[in-house]
Amino acid sequence: MPNTEPSDQPVESRQPIAPGVCLPWEIVSREWPKIEGDAELVRRVWEDLDSMAYTYIWQCLLSF
Amino acid sequence: MVYVWTGLVKAIGIKYYACPGIEIPPDTPFQYLEPPDDQAHMRPDEYDELISDPTGYLYNVWLPRVTTEVRARGETTAYRNNLSFVRGSMAMLSYFHAFGDQIARLRQESGTPSALSGILKAPFDIIADKLRGYRGLCMDMFRQPQKVLAACEALTPHLLHIAASGADPQRNLPVGLWMHRGCVPFLSPDQFAKFYWPTLRQIIEGLWARGIQTLFYAEGEWNANLKYIAELPEGSIVYHIDRGDPFEVHRALVGKFCISGGVPNDLLAFGRPDDVKEYVKKLIETIGRDGGYIVDASAIMQDDTRVENVRAMTEAARLYGEY
Repeated sequence: MPNTEPSDQPVESRQPIAPGVCLPWEIVSREWPKIEGDAELVRRVWEDLDSMAYTYIWQCLLSF
Repeated sequence: MVYVWTGLVKAIGIKYYACPGIEIPPDTPFQYLEPPDDQAHMRPDEYDELISDPTGYLYNVWLPRVTTEVRARGETTAYRNNLSFVRGSMAMLSYFHAFGDQIARLRQESGTPSALSGILKAPFDIIADKLRGYRGLCMDMFRQPQKVLAACEALTPHLLHIAASGADPQRNLPVGLWMHRGCVPFLSPDQFAKFYWPTLRQIIEGLWARGIQTLFYAEGEWNANLKYIAELPEGSIVYHIDRGDPFEVHRALVGKFCISGGVPNDLLAFGRPDDVKEYVKKLIETIGRDGGYIVDASAIMQDDTRVENVRAMTEAARLYGEY
């Protein structure tokens, strides 16, 4: 069964997603091979960039 | 347009703005186009989807509906859809990166400091302005009030997060809060107390707990709600007066919050410089007599504002604004 983004799942099965997050690291990291390097660094970079995607849509809503 | 920048609006094809020089004459302020009720950006049966995942809803449902370029779920994506996300995000980066240089220019060329940093809107206003529309939301307050309340609560942590993330790291500037549909006559006092105020208050107090002040830009007539606003923590807001009676505001909030604004825009557009000076003097001598007052126009000054009247307002502030 393919992994799906949280927002593509039926409403009743979704878990609340924290502010600042679009695609949680806990979900996307399950789709990746085991990280042999610095997993914390990879997580941090993912979350930093994901937060920009979050900022984009909320700023579209608020500022534009 | 400086704010609501046309570059980004057109990069993704936002449909709810008429832009100066494109859809409307170049010397006209931008216009917001609220859609007909049956074409609201959010349908009345979509509350559950918004509540369960606001960010997912915005990307999957709202954005395709409010733009010409972004395709909805299930539709075929193509070149223009893909381009829109690159163009839109690059436009947003350009927009926010330009602030630093422009703020420096304002300071160097006119001695004008920044007034705010970051953005906040009330959860209720977001639903009224950008999702259900004011008329749709009015119907929902009667037909499905619990859904409206739950949606306000679902939006609250996100609006707090965005406001805090754009705040001045030095905590010298307040976050701008633009108030729309909570004032008289849009909501009754009971509706304000039930739907509008609880979640907005939660956000303002959440920001204050982080040391962030809010510029409470009370667009319209808000004096009927001053008793609620007065309950906010001391110093947590700067209260900006638009159409409310400044002297009544002062009586209700004196000593608790700094007050700004109150110089009528029609006076700045159509009055004489001497009238402006006299009015500013009166404001300073009454609501500003103990300090805690920032001279400013009631609302954002548009192209009809006379330069000589702005000059008169500034001169009066310098002349009478010393303690």
